[in-house]
Amino acid sequence: MEHKENQQSYLQLKSIDKFFGITKALQGVNLDIYGGEVIGLIGPNGAGKSTLMKILTGVLQPTNGVLAIEGKDAEHYNARTAKEIGIACAYQDLSLCTNLSVYENFALLNVSHGLVEKPGWRKAAKKHATELLEQYFPGSGIDVSRTVDKLSLADQQIVEICKTLMTDNLKILILDEPTSALSSDKAHQLHEVVAKLSKKGVAVIYISHKLDEIGIVADRIAVLRNGQNHGEISASAVDQDGLVEMMGGGKKKQAARQESGKASEEIMVETKNLTSKELDCVDLVVKKGEILGISGLAGSGQQELLQAIYSARKHIGVMGRNGVRVNSTISYVSGDRTKEGVFPLWDIRNNILAANFDRVRGKVLLDRKKCDESANYWYDKLKFRAEGIGSNIMSLSGGNQQKALIARGIASEADIIILNDPTAGVDIGTKQDIYALLEEVKQMGKSVILYSTEDAEIEICDRAYIMHEGAITAELTGADITVSNIVTASFKKVEKKKAEDKKKSIISQMVSSRLMLPILTLLVIFIANAVNNPNMLSYVGLRMKISSTLPLIFAALGQMFIILSGDCDMGNGYSIGLVNVLVGILLTGNPLVGLGGLVIFIAAYMGMAALIHLRNIPAIVVTLGAQFVWYGIALILCPTPGGSCPQWLSDFLRIRTPVIPFPIILAAVAGTACWYLLARSRYGMVMRGIGNNPTSVERSGWSYLRAKAANYGMAGLMIVFAGMAYTSTCNGADANSSVNFCMMSIATVILGGCEMAGGVGEPIGVVVAAIAMNLINSLLTAMKVDSNYQTAIIGLILIAVLAFKFLIHRKGTAKNE
Amino acid sequence: MNKIKEITQKNAFIWPILGCIVLYIAITIVTGSFSLAVISSCAKLCVFAMLLALGQMIVVTSGDGAIDLSQKYILTLTAYVSCTVMEKNIVLGLIAAIAVGVVCGLISSVINVYLRVPAMITTLATGYLFYTVILLVSSRGSSIPAGGFVKFVNASVLGINMMTLLCILVAVLLWFVLYRTKYGHQLHAVGQKREAARLVGINVNKIVIVAFVIDGILCGLAGALCGAYCGGANQDLGTTYFLPSIAAAFVGGTNAAGGKSSVVGVSIGALMMTFMSTFLNAAKLDIGVQRLIQGVFLVFLLVVAVSDAGKKK
Repeated sequence: MEHKENQQSYLQLKSIDKFFGITKALQGVNLDIYGGEVIGLIGPNGAGKSTLMKILTGVLQPTNGVLAIEGKDAEHYNARTAKEIGIACAYQDLSLCTNLSVYENFALLNVSHGLVEKPGWRKAAKKHATELLEQYFPGSGIDVSRTVDKLSLADQQIVEICKTLMTDNLKILILDEPTSALSSDKAHQLHEVVAKLSKKGVAVIYISHKLDEIGIVADRIAVLRNGQNHGEISASAVDQDGLVEMMGGGKKKQAARQESGKASEEIMVETKNLTSKELDCVDLVVKKGEILGISGLAGSGQQELLQAIYSARKHIGVMGRNGVRVNSTISYVSGDRTKEGVFPLWDIRNNILAANFDRVRGKVLLDRKKCDESANYWYDKLKFRAEGIGSNIMSLSGGNQQKALIARGIASEADIIILNDPTAGVDIGTKQDIYALLEEVKQMGKSVILYSTEDAEIEICDRAYIMHEGAITAELTGADITVSNIVTASFKKVEKKKAEDKKKSIISQMVSSRLMLPILTLLVIFIANAVNNPNMLSYVGLRMKISSTLPLIFAALGQMFIILSGDCDMGNGYSIGLVNVLVGILLTGNPLVGLGGLVIFIAAYMGMAALIHLRNIPAIVVTLGAQFVWYGIALILCPTPGGSCPQWLSDFLRIRTPVIPFPIILAAVAGTACWYLLARSRYGMVMRGIGNNPTSVERSGWSYLRAKAANYGMAGLMIVFAGMAYTSTCNGADANSSVNFCMMSIATVILGGCEMAGGVGEPIGVVVAAIAMNLINSLLTAMKVDSNYQTAIIGLILIAVLAFKFLIHRKGTAKNE
Repeated sequence: MNKIKEITQKNAFIWPILGCIVLYIAITIVTGSFSLAVISSCAKLCVFAMLLALGQMIVVTSGDGAIDLSQKYILTLTAYVSCTVMEKNIVLGLIAAIAVGVVCGLISSVINVYLRVPAMITTLATGYLFYTVILLVSSRGSSIPAGGFVKFVNASVLGINMMTLLCILVAVLLWFVLYRTKYGHQLHAVGQKREAARLVGINVNKIVIVAFVIDGILCGLAGALCGAYCGGANQDLGTTYFLPSIAAAFVGGTNAAGGKSSVVGVSIGALMMTFMSTFLNAAKLDIGVQRLIQGVFLVFLLVVAVSDAGKKK
C-alpha cells in the first residue's frame, strides 16, 4: 500500500552520515518510512544497506543526522528505542540459537524477564509457536519441539522470519535477503505475509538482490549507491533494466550466450547411479570446456551432489565406490563465505593464494615476489574495492570477498571448478563480472559446474541439470535453459523408490540419546564392581561409594556450566582446593567469616565471566591464570595441611535415610536441580543459548554478560559444594590435594554427554558419569591392578568411550560428512 | 592512541618484552644489584618452557580448540629415554628422545583426527597413558644423565649458554616453517576455518597430525635437555613447566581459537615467565604470596595483551 499524500511518516531518517575512520559508509542518506508501506531497498554490495539498517535498529549510532519518530526528532536513539517503537529485523545470517527448540527461540523473545515464572509457560509457548507458523506459513510442517539444528536451512529461515513477526507492537519490519534459501512456493507465502502486514499498517523494508521479487512485493523502491540515495521510484513504474541501470550495473542484461566455444566431447566428471541418503540415482557428465548448471528447489540434493564430486578429487581418474569419477583437478568455490569461504584473519593476498601455495613456491620456501605478483594480477583483474592486497579480507564487502574466493578457485588452475551458489548476496555489477570471468575460464578449456539458487543465473550455462528430491528431473541445453523450464522441472514429480521416512524406533532414539553412553558405562562398571565385591551392594557399601563420589559430582557439574557457555575451566582443581581451605580453616573457625569467604569466591567466579566477556580473553587462559590466585590465597590461609571439617557439615553428610543412602539422594537432587534449571526454567534457556549463539540471545533482549555471569556463578556454587564434600571426605584442608579434579571433571563432563563446543548441558548424564568414573577407580583397585596401570586404563576408557560416541553420532549426521 | 593499539596488535611480542623489562627492574630493586648475569641465567632457564610453549603454539594454531595437555608427560618420558639411551651413545639418545616425542604426538593426533575425540580430551587421556609408561620406564631405565651431554648443555659460546643458542636456532627454524613455507600457511588456514581449508583442497588431517608431530619433536628436545640440565629425570620433571609454557604461549600472541601465532612473542613470553619466577624467588616471599602475585600479574598481562587480538567467531 503506497503512502498517502499528506500522511505523517512513522520514522524518518534525516541526512544520515556514518563514517568508519576515513571510510564514508553513508553520506546524507534520507529515508521516510510510512506505516503500511513496503519499501524495496536495493543497491550494490557495499552500498551501505546493512549499515543503514543497523542505524535503523539502533545497533550503530549515526555520525551525523537524526532519526525522527512520528515527526519528532529522537534523542539518544539506540537499540532499546528501536525495540520500543516496534522495529524488528530478520537477519541474513540467521540469528537463532540452533541448540534450542523452535518454540524456545520464540519464547526467548516474548517470555517475561521477571523473577517469578508462570507455571505452564512452556506449553503456552509451544502452542503459540505452532499457531504462528501455521498462520504465516501454512503447511510448513515444522515441529516446534525440535531443535533448530535439525531443521533444513529453508525451515530455519522461516522460523527466523516468524520470530521477527512476533515482536509486540510491530511497526517496521526489516527483511534482509529473506528468500535467499527459500523455494519459490515458500517465497510466495512470504510475499503474502508481507502484503498482510502492510494491510495491517506495518511498514516493511524489503532488501533483496532478486529484482523480480522486489517488483512484486514493493510499493516503492529506494536505491542506495556508494552510501548515498540514488533515486526512489514507485514500483509500478519500473522495469528491471531500469533498476539495473539505477544501481550502476552499466551493462545490459546478460549478453546473449556465446555459442562459439563448442564444448568438446571429452568427459571431465562422470557419475553413475550415484545414490545416497539425499541423492537418488544421479547420472551426469561434465564435458571439457562447458559451463554446466545445476538447479532446482533449494535442498533437493544439490549440495550433496557437489560434495560427492569434490570428494572424488582424492582418486582422480578412478571410479569411486559411490559411482563418481573425476578426470582432473578440482577447485571449489563456496557461496557461504562466512562458514566455508574466507579466512578471516588473512589479507586479500593470502585468501587468494590459499589454494595455490604450490604455485608460488620456490624449492622449500614461498617466493614472496611470486605471491605478490599472483595476488596483484587477480586484484587488478577483478577490480577489488580495497586499499590493496594487504587489506584484511573482513574489511571488504560481501561481493568483494566473493571475488577473492572465485579468484582463489580459478587461480588454482584446476581443470574443473565447482561453484556453489557463488553469487548469493552479491550485487548485480559484481555478478556481471563473475559471469564474464566464467566465460573466460570456459574459453580456456576448463569445465565449470555452477549451482545457483537464482534460476535466472542458470541461463548463462551451456547445459543444465534440474534436480528435485535428490533426482535429476530434466537436462536442458542451450536456448532451452529458461526460468520457466527450470521451474517446471523443479516441481516435476519424482518416482520414489525410497520408502517414506521411517519413524525413529524407540531403540534407535535411545541409542542416539546423550544419556545412553554414561548410563551404559555406569551399568557395565557397576555390575563389574558388584561381581567383584558383592558387599558394595549393601546400604553401607553404596553409601561409602557414592559419598566418596560427591566431590567429583559437584566438580563436574560446575565444569559443565562453564563448558555449557562454550568455555573451559582449567583452574577448578585449585579452586576446589581454595574452597577446601575456606571450609576447613575459616568456616570451622569462624562461620561468619567462612561464609563471607565463600560468597566472595562465587562472586570472583562471576567476575571471571565479566573479564572474559568484556575484555574478550579466551576462558582457558583466564582460568589458568586465575588458578595461581586461588592457589596463592589457599597457601596464605593454610601453608601446611591442617584444619578440620565443621561438625555440622559432616553430620549433615552422614544423615541416615531409610532404604536409599543419603549420598545417593544428594546426587540425585543435585542432578535434577541442575536439569530443572537448564531444561525447564526460563533462564536456563538463556544459559544454554549463549553457548550457541550469544548474538541471538542479545538480540532477543537478554544480557549476554548477565547470562555468562550466571553460568559462572552456578559453576562457583557447584565448586563450593564440591569443596565442602571434599573437606568432609578428607576431614581437613590442603591447598594442594585436589588438583586432579580439573582433568577428571572435564573427562566426566564429556562422558556425561556434553560438547566441548558449548550449548549442551546434560546434568543427569554428568552425575551418572561421575559415579562411573569413581567406580572405575575402585574397580581397578579392587582387582589389584598395579597402580602404575590405573591411570593408563582410565585414559584408554576415556578414548574408547568417546570413539564409540563418535561412531554412533556419525550414523545420525552422515550428511555432514 | 589507535596507532599504538595497531602496532601492539600486529607485534604481539611487545607486551612480553615490556613484562621482561618491568620484571628485570623489579629483580634489580629486590636484589639491590644490577646484574647482567640474571639475564643470561634466565635465558638459560627458560629454554624448557620455551620449547614447550612453541610446541603448544603450533598445536593451538591448528584451531578447533586444539591444545596439548600431555606435554609435561612427553617431556618427562623423553628425559628418561634420553638418559637411558645416552648411556650408550649421546647422539643416539637425543635422536631417541625426539623419536619418542614424535610417536607421542602421532598417537594423540591420530586419535584426535580419526576418532574425532576433542584434542583437549585426547591429550588428557594420552597424557595418562604416557604417565603410565613413565612409571614403567622409571623403574627400569636410567635416570642419570650422561656426563658428556651434561657438559654440553652447560657449555657456553661467547658467554651464551649452549641450550640458549640451540633454542634460538630452533625458533628461527620454526619461524621459517610457519611463515615462509606452504605448510605454515596451510596450518594457519586450517586454524582459521577447517571447513574452508578442506574446500581449498588442504588435507586438514595431515596438517593437524604434522602439527602434533612438530610439538612432539619440541617436547622430546626439551626432555633431553631438561633431563641433562636438572641432573637427571624424575617423575614430576615436566610439571614445573606446564603452566609457564601455556601462559607463555598465550601471552606471546597465540590466538586461542587458532589461526594466529607468533614465534617471537611466544619465545619472549617464555623468557618473561622465567624472569617472573626468578623475581619471586629473589624477593624471598612466602610461597602463597608468590603464587598470588604470579596469578594477578598473569591475568593483568592477559588483559592488556590478549584482548581484542583473540576475537571469537
